[in-house]
Amino acid sequence: MISWLFLAPFAVSVAVSIWNRKAGYVALAVSSAIILAGSFIHFDYIDSFVVIASLVWIFSSWFSVSYGEKYGRWLAPMFGSTIFGMVVILLSRNYLEFLAGWETMSISSYVLIAMNRKNDYPPFVFMAFSELSTVLIVAGAIYSFYLTGGTTIAFTKVDSVIPLVLFTLGALVKMGMVPFMISEWLPIAHGNAPANGSAILSATMTLMGVFGIVRLMLLSPLSQVFGVIVIAIGVLSVIFASLFAYVSEHAKMLAGFSTIENNGAILAAIGFYMIAQTAILRDFSLVVIVIFSLSHSLSKTGLFLGIGASGKEHFLDEGLSSSRFSRIGEVLSTASLSGLFPTIGGLGTWMILEMFFMGASFLGYLGIVSIIAGSLIAIGEGFATAAMMKAFVFTQLRNGKARGMKNEHAVVFSIGVILILLFILSPLFVGPEFLGGLPSVFVFNGFTIQSRFAAADFGLVSPDYVFGLLAVFSLATYAIFRKPDTRSVPVWRGGREFTEDYTPYAFSNNIRLMLKKILRPGIGERSQYMAISDGFWAFMIILTRSYRKVAKGFTLGFMNSSIRWYMIYMILAFMIVLLLAILI
Amino acid sequence: MYWYEEGKPDGRFIGNTKKYSIYGSHYNSTIEVVHEKPPERKPEEFIFAYGPSTGGLMESVGLDILTPGEKITSISVDPTYKLRKIKVTGMGIQDALLRIERINGFHSASHAICFLRAVEDALQIEVPEEVQFNRIAQIEAERIRSHLLVIQKLAESAGFGVPVNQLSMIREKVSRIIGTQCGHRYFFAVNEIGKSRFMIDKLQEKLLEVIGEFRMISEGLMESKLFLNRLQNNGINRDPESTGPAARGAGIRHDARNELPVLPYEQLDYFPIVRDEGDAFSRFMIRSDEIFQSYDIIKNIHASKSIERLDYDLQKMGGTGMARIESPSGDLFYSVEIEKGNVVDIGMISPSWRNVLSFRRSMEGNIFTDFHFNWESFGIWISELGVDLS
Amino acid sequence: MKNGIWFLKGVRKGVKTEKFPRSEPVEIARWSTEITGSGEANCPTDAITNGKWDMTKCIFCRRCLPGYEPTGKHEIFTVGEKMHQFRKSFFIYPLDSGACGACNTELHALTAPQYDMHRLGIFFTNTPRHADAIAVMGVWTEGMEEPLKRAYDAMSDPKMIILMGACAISGGIIGEGALKSGEYNVAIAGCPPNPYTILAALIRARGD
Ligand code: SF4
Ligand code: SF4
Repeated sequence: MISWLFLAPFAVSVAVSIWNRKAGYVALAVSSAIILAGSFIHFDYIDSFVVIASLVWIFSSWFSVSYGEKYGRWLAPMFGSTIFGMVVILLSRNYLEFLAGWETMSISSYVLIAMNRKNDYPPFVFMAFSELSTVLIVAGAIYSFYLTGGTTIAFTKVDSVIPLVLFTLGALVKMGMVPFMISEWLPIAHGNAPANGSAILSATMTLMGVFGIVRLMLLSPLSQVFGVIVIAIGVLSVIFASLFAYVSEHAKMLAGFSTIENNGAILAAIGFYMIAQTAILRDFSLVVIVIFSLSHSLSKTGLFLGIGASGKEHFLDEGLSSSRFSRIGEVLSTASLSGLFPTIGGLGTWMILEMFFMGASFLGYLGIVSIIAGSLIAIGEGFATAAMMKAFVFTQLRNGKARGMKNEHAVVFSIGVILILLFILSPLFVGPEFLGGLPSVFVFNGFTIQSRFAAADFGLVSPDYVFGLLAVFSLATYAIFRKPDTRSVPVWRGGREFTEDYTPYAFSNNIRLMLKKILRPGIGERSQYMAISDGFWAFMIILTRSYRKVAKGFTLGFMNSSIRWYMIYMILAFMIVLLLAILI
Repeated sequence: MYWYEEGKPDGRFIGNTKKYSIYGSHYNSTIEVVHEKPPERKPEEFIFAYGPSTGGLMESVGLDILTPGEKITSISVDPTYKLRKIKVTGMGIQDALLRIERINGFHSASHAICFLRAVEDALQIEVPEEVQFNRIAQIEAERIRSHLLVIQKLAESAGFGVPVNQLSMIREKVSRIIGTQCGHRYFFAVNEIGKSRFMIDKLQEKLLEVIGEFRMISEGLMESKLFLNRLQNNGINRDPESTGPAARGAGIRHDARNELPVLPYEQLDYFPIVRDEGDAFSRFMIRSDEIFQSYDIIKNIHASKSIERLDYDLQKMGGTGMARIESPSGDLFYSVEIEKGNVVDIGMISPSWRNVLSFRRSMEGNIFTDFHFNWESFGIWISELGVDLS
Repeated sequence: MKNGIWFLKGVRKGVKTEKFPRSEPVEIARWSTEITGSGEANCPTDAITNGKWDMTKCIFCRRCLPGYEPTGKHEIFTVGEKMHQFRKSFFIYPLDSGACGACNTELHALTAPQYDMHRLGIFFTNTPRHADAIAVMGVWTEGMEEPLKRAYDAMSDPKMIILMGACAISGGIIGEGALKSGEYNVAIAGCPPNPYTILAALIRARGD
C-alpha cells in the first residue's frame, strides 16, 4: 500500500498545472524524480520500468516548461494526467487497478492528441484503437478471474496461457504492432500530438504495454507456439515500420514508425523468452528487454523533443534555428536509435542480435526461427539508420544554426549525454551473471558484457573500453594535430548557385521506388520500374497488400459511427472501471 | 536558288532560321513552331543539376535532369550559358567566313563549306569540279576525326583505357595529317569562294594507316561484351525527324549527301549506311562504318595537283542562296543574302539543334549511368547551338 | 580476341610517346606557330602593328601573306609568376567560357599517347575543388561569367589561371577576352593553340 504514496505528488502536480502551467511541469519533474528514487528501495526486475518511465517524464516535463504555450492551458493538465495514469499502471497489483490506469492514460492522451488536431481523424483513430485494446485486456482479466475460480482479480500465477494471449493482443493494439500497424494509426496519432505529448506517448505509453506483457508473462505458463507468433509479429513490425519510417515525410510520424520498430524488437525479445528453454537464455532475454526499452524510451524522447525544438512537423516546414547543443543531442539520440556505439542503443541492438544468434545455435529446430528473426531485425536496423539520418538531417542540419542554448536545446542535449552515460554505466545493470573480463588483454573483470550460453561465452563487448578507446584516440588525435585547418568554400554545383533541390522525399525515394507496390501504387507511371525479382520482397509485397486491404476495411468499419457514441462509450467505460475499483 | 525553292512545307523539317522554316528542299516563311513539352514535376522528383561547367562535359552546357532517384524522367538542355553573339551581316564574304569557321571549330570545314555553297548559290558562281571534290575530301576527313572522337568518348564512358588511348592516338594522327595538308589542324583559313588550300594528294595514303589501326580497335570493341552491354538498348531514338548518324542508326535514311547535289557525292557512288536498332550501339556502329566509308570516298577522289585559282569580282554581285550539307553530326543548313559583295542576312540551322531534341526524347526512362553514353553518342556540339548568328 | 586482351593489344603497340619536351616537336601545323615578316599586313585583328606581331591577337588567318610567314616555332605563350609547387603534380580544370570547340579538343589531345601529359605529372580534374589551375577557353560570355568566378573561388590557394587561345586572351575575332589582362598568369596563343604549345606552356608555368 505504501507504494501508492508515490501517486500523491503526481495528483498534486496535475492540480497545480491547472493553476500554473510551468509550476505544474516542475512539480511533475519532481514527482518523477521522487518515484525514480523510490524505485531503488526494494528494487526488483519490474521496477526497471519505473526507472525508465520516470527518466522520460523528468526530461519531457523539463522540456515542456518552455514549450507549448500555443496549445493553451489544458496541455499541461492533460500531459500530467496521462503520466498519472501510467503511474497507476506501474503501481498496479491487479487487473482493475491496471485498467483504471490504462483508461486514465488513454482518455487524457486522447485530449492531448486532439489539441494539435487539424482534423478529427488522428484523435479519433487513437481512441478507437485504445478502446479495442481495453476490451481485449478486460477479456483477459475476466478469463483470469474465471481461472482462479472467481477468487481474485490480482495478478496471480495461472495455468493457462489464454489470459496472457488476450492481454498481449490488447497491449499490441496500443503499441501499434502488426497487424494493427498497417492502418498506421499509431504514427498518425503520435505524430499529431504536441511534441512533449508525442514523447510520452511514444516512449512511455508503449512501454506500459511492454510492462503489462512482461508482468503477465512472468506469471503464466509459456507456450512456444505463442512465442513464435509473438516473434513473428515483432519482426514483421520491425521490418515494415522501419521502411515506413524511412519513407515518411512527416518528422513526428517518422519517429512514430520508429517507435513501432523498436517495440517490435522488444516484442521479439519477449517472444524469445517464451521459446527459450534454458534459464540463462531467458535471463539474458529479460536483460535485453530492459536495456532495449531503456534505450528506446530515452532516445525516442530525445528524438521527439529534438523535433519539437526544431519547430517542424513536416520535413519541408519552415523550422526554427537549431543550436550546437540540439544538434549534438539529436545526433546522439538518432545514433542510439540506429543502434550505434557509444550509446545505450548500440548496446541494446548488439544484445538483441546476440540473443537471436545464440538462439540460432542452441534452440534446436527453433533455431531457424531465431536466425530468421535476428537477420530480419538486422535488416530493419539498417533501414532505421537511414531513417534516423533523414530525421536528423532534415530537422537539425537543414535548419539554420543559432548561437546560445535555449531550454529545449539543453534538454535534448542532456538526453544525448545520458545516452552515453548509460552506455558507460551499463555493466552496472546487466547483472553479474553476464559480466566478465579478459585480464590477458587488460580488460579487467566486470568490464565486459557477455552473451552467454551455459558457462561458455558467446560474444562480448566492453562499453567502457569502447568509450574509453574512442575518447582516448579522439583526444590523442586532437592533442597531436590540434583543430584542423579548415577552409569553407561554397558548394560546387557546376558553376551554378547552390539551391536545395535534394528534398527529404528524394532522400528516401530509392526505397520508395523499390517498394512502390506496397507504399504508393501511383508513383511514376511515366516510366517503368525494375521488376521486383527478389522472391523475398515479392512475398512481402503480397503479404502487405492483403493486410492493408483488411486493415483498411477494419479501420473504416470500426470508425464510421459518430463521435458521440465514442464519447458516451468512453465515459461509461471509465465510470464502470472506477466503480469496480472502488467496490473491490 | 538552285537547291531550294519557296513552297509549301514538303519533305522533312530541317529547322527554323530567323526568317524561314526549312524543309528537305523547300523553304517557307511561316515559321513552324516546335513544340517541346515542358517537364512536369512530380513531388517525388527533384532536379539533378549537371553543368554548365563540369569535367565530364567537353563544353559548357546546363543540364537539368529531372529524376525520382535513378530513372531519368526528363532532361532539359540549356546551351545558352556560353551563348556567343557573332555578327557577320554587313561584312564581306571573307570576313564573314573567318567567323563562320569559328562557330564550331571541330566541324569547321563543314560550316565553312556549307556557308560558301550558299554564297555561291546566291551569286550563281560555278565552282570548278576539283574544288568541289576537294571540299568533299575535307568534310570526309573531318568526319573521320569527328567520329573517332565520339567513339573515343564512348569507350571513355565505359572506362576502357586501352582503346581510349589508341583512339586518341589515331585522332591526333588525323589532326596532324590535316595540319600538314593545309597548314591548319582545323581547316581555318583554308576555304574561299571557288578555292581551297587543302592538298588532297597523298591524303589517302596517309589515312590508310589510321584506318588500319581503327579497324583493329573497332573489331576489339565489338567483341567486348561489356562495351556492347552498355550501349545496346540504351537511349533508343525513334524521332522520325532525326538527323545524321542518329537518324541512320534508327533506320531513317536521312543524309544530305544523297538528297541534294550541293556537293557531287553522286559521282562517287555514295550511298548512306543505315541500321535499325536506334540505340547508342547502333549510332556507334553507324559511325564506325562511316569512318571506313569516308575513307573510301576520299580514295575515289582523284587528286588534281593544282587547283586553278579563279578570282571573282565580288563587289558587284548579290543574290539569295541556301545550301544544306551533311556535317559529321547531320544536317547543316545555311542561307545567305548578299548585296554588293556584303552579307546582309544570314541563317543557320545546326544538326545539334535536332540532335538535342532527339537526345532528350531518347533519354526519358533511361537511368543515370546511361547518361554519358547516350549524350556522347549523339555528337552534340554546344558551340553551334549556343550561338546567336546575325 | 577476348575482353581481357586489351592489355596485350596495348603492350603490342609499343611506346608511342614522343620525347617532347626534351626534343623538338615531331610534326607541327605551321599556322599555329610564331609569325614573322615585314611590310603591309591587312590583319583583321590588328595583330601586326609596325611589323611587330602580337601573338595574343593573332587568329592565324593568313591574311598577312606573303609579307609574313610562320616560323614553325611553337613556343608562343607568356608565363607570369611560376609556381614550383606544381612540379610533381599539376591538376588542371578545363573551363569553356565561350569556345568554338577546337580549343577544347586541342586541350583534350594532351592525353593522347603522343603527348601523354600524365608522364609529366599533369592531369585533368573534374572539379575546380581539386584543381591547381584552371584553363579558360573561349570568349567572354554573359552566362559563363558567374561559373568562371565560382570556379575560381572554389579552388584552393595557390592557384593559377591559364588562358588558352586568342578568344580567351584578346577575344580574337569573335568577341572580348574572357578575363582582363592582369587577371591571369599564363596566356597561350593560337587559334587554337597547338598541343605542343600548350604542353610547353604548362611545363614552363610550373617552373621546369
Ligand atoms: S595570321 Fe591573320 S591574324 Fe595573324 S597576324 Fe596574320 S593577318 Fe593577323
Ligand atoms: S581561340 Fe580559336 S580555336 Fe580557340 S575557341 Fe577561339 S576561335 Fe576557337
